[in-house]
Amino acid sequence: MVFSSITFLFYFLPIVLGIYYIVPNKLKNLVLLLASLFFYAYGEPKYVIVMIASIISAYLFGILIDKYKKHSKLFLILSICVSAGFLVYFKYINFIIQNINLWLTKKIDFIYVVLPIGISFYTFQLISYTIDVYRGQAKVQKNILKLALYISLFPQLIAGPIVRYTTIEEQLENREYSSEKFALGVRRFIIGLGKKVLIANVLGELTNIFLASNTPNILFYWIYAIANMLQIYFDFSGYSDMAIGLGKMFGFEFLENFNYPYIATSVTDFWRRWHISLSTWFRDYIYIPLGGNRVSKMKWLRNILIVWLLTGLWHGAAWNFILWGVYFGILLIIEKIFLGKYLEKIPKILSRIYVLVIVAISFIIFSGESMAQILKNIGGLVGIGTQSMISAESLYYFKSYFVVFIVSIIGATPVLKNFVNKENVHKIMNILEPVYLLLIFVICTSYIIDGSFNPFLYFRF
Amino acid sequence: MRKKNHGLIICISVFFLGMSLWAILSKTPDYSDSERRVLAKLPKVSTETVLSGEFAEDFDTYAVERFPARDLWRSVKAYAQTKVFGQKDNNGIYTADKHISKMEYPMNEEMIKHAAQVLNAVQKNHLQENDVYLAVVPDKNRYLAEETGHLAMDYDAFTNTVKEQVDAEYIEIADLLNAEDYYYTDSHWRQEQIADVAERISDAMGVNLSEEYGVFRMEKPFEGVYAGQSALKWESDTISYLSNETIEQVIVTGADAVYDMKKATGRDPYEMFLSGNQPVITIENPLNDSGKRLVIFRDSFGSSLAPLLIEAYSEIVLVDLRYISSDKLGEYVGFEGADVLFLYSTTMLNNSLGMKQEKKG
Repeated sequence: MVFSSITFLFYFLPIVLGIYYIVPNKLKNLVLLLASLFFYAYGEPKYVIVMIASIISAYLFGILIDKYKKHSKLFLILSICVSAGFLVYFKYINFIIQNINLWLTKKIDFIYVVLPIGISFYTFQLISYTIDVYRGQAKVQKNILKLALYISLFPQLIAGPIVRYTTIEEQLENREYSSEKFALGVRRFIIGLGKKVLIANVLGELTNIFLASNTPNILFYWIYAIANMLQIYFDFSGYSDMAIGLGKMFGFEFLENFNYPYIATSVTDFWRRWHISLSTWFRDYIYIPLGGNRVSKMKWLRNILIVWLLTGLWHGAAWNFILWGVYFGILLIIEKIFLGKYLEKIPKILSRIYVLVIVAISFIIFSGESMAQILKNIGGLVGIGTQSMISAESLYYFKSYFVVFIVSIIGATPVLKNFVNKENVHKIMNILEPVYLLLIFVICTSYIIDGSFNPFLYFRF
Repeated sequence: MRKKNHGLIICISVFFLGMSLWAILSKTPDYSDSERRVLAKLPKVSTETVLSGEFAEDFDTYAVERFPARDLWRSVKAYAQTKVFGQKDNNGIYTADKHISKMEYPMNEEMIKHAAQVLNAVQKNHLQENDVYLAVVPDKNRYLAEETGHLAMDYDAFTNTVKEQVDAEYIEIADLLNAEDYYYTDSHWRQEQIADVAERISDAMGVNLSEEYGVFRMEKPFEGVYAGQSALKWESDTISYLSNETIEQVIVTGADAVYDMKKATGRDPYEMFLSGNQPVITIENPLNDSGKRLVIFRDSFGSSLAPLLIEAYSEIVLVDLRYISSDKLGEYVGFEGADVLFLYSTTMLNNSLGMKQEKKG
């Protein structure tokens, strides 16, 4: 089920909210768990069993880790193997076979396997839970229903944020409800919906138009690069906003997942602002256990490359994702060695431009269907493979999407937020808030009804 | 920390719950007049459809398509997209003065090639002894798009490509037309404006049209195919048709009438011309005993042109290759001694997959 669908907005959500607030507090977790399992099974009827099996495994191993301290490391390793095993099988098995086959004369047959939605997200949550229990940072959850609720909680189940068990541990037992929190949740949800439907989806149409065009030119390549990076940002951050907003509506507080990444002044800074829950996961569960930067220089470089190779691989079972991850790994190394200090000294506008160009190129790699396409779309930015600067087609779409570009560029910065938070503006905005949020919601609904182009990009993870 | 905002919760909740109840409880029509299609039905639940994911997919489609006041929501979207966000088209649909049109862009050489292959196969198998002519009807974007800053094909290049690939004598008609010769909210041309086109074609085929026409206007306002697609306010229009003594006396088989008055008040009034798209239609002219015959391979534009040519023939046969494949033609159509006209619009040729290719035995 997609958040930005009529089924979710006008059937599932009102029914679940209604039941949730009617039942007594002691039944709220059960209602939410059943709703979440239904939510997942609706889109993934057969493979909900994989998620349930993963939850049971993590639950049992969590108890074993807590009970048998002497063997806790062994149980932890087994738990990670089971959780990661599901992920590797469902997501990477054919990629592994494909690459092994390059070396074999007698090829191995591919396995017919469907990627369960959200498996990358909930697997990481399960692994973080068992590691936190092992480290003593979290109390083992002896109630399997509560653990299941943590993992399957529908606001964040299929596309994050990757919520840590420690963030949510107390909230599973005891949540605070207030009209203010609910209102904040509603506001956040609607803003996220607007980002997804009115900006990300619209820019997605433009990127598709570019990819179908037979006559790209430099202007069109740049339109694509900018639309692509904005689409990915608004799609993913919009979804995170909706997840956080929904969490609040049900009494949960999730951590932020984005912090205006496109105003970053270095790639290092960018990754403190982009998909924060993923980058901190890799930091806490891969980078630091490998030794982080408290090892020899060679090992430190190794650690960074491993983390970024895995970050790329997490995003998809294809070489372009690995390339994307390694691309950032190398840039981070360069910044740590010398470039970072230089970036701190130059005017912020220049360092921001540097980051934006780097990120635009990275997302061309991220979105590429083949190496040839990636090279073509990057080369086209500087006129390689094209003889024209501009065409009637590219100019048409530039003019047609100009307002959307302006809105999305402003929206990608804290300019609007800072303006709205000024004292005198804030009072007016408080009064107008129901009006403009309702307007956004109405327009989003109209777009959803009119269109059918509505895939979440991060669903394939 | 922001203050409580009960106003926000109340406004959004009232709207939200109200819309949800309306969506769940309301009974919506099965057919969309504006989109000219049947809307999704509530899917049946079964173990098979649930486990396969088919039920979920079908229910999502049902929920979207059966949302109450669908046309109003589509209008809101069209307005927001074009007036608020300033986009130049909405799903390819744009307005140009009184006209609503759909961009036909870019030129699709593969589709033109496919169309040419179909027509050339017909030629090869059935028309070796016939005089074969070709006329291409430009879609109205030719006369609208560039002026309004919308994307338009290079129509000269399009026509040249078609001429090069289809083995027939080409009859140019584009210079006889302009935007006013097309309905405001439909893709088709106005029959009352194409008498000169009929004359150009008949001259090229060596036949004569001399009878005058009376113009008859339908009362019901004409809402063309683009009116519903645009979801915006549209300019009122009417359909007129031409008639004379010859047209009044023709005998039609394969359609209800030359001017089907039942269809004129139906869902797609342009179908009044020869009852819309049919595989094979025959128009017999009892006032012409010359024995001359014309076979027109056509799309929907041919429906309104054919009545204007019947004066010069004893019989006109219209063939729509979207509904009959060319290897079945011999069973339904005689070609001996007939003039043959390929009459297709640029829209059809640019999206020609519907033209059935001969099955290879």
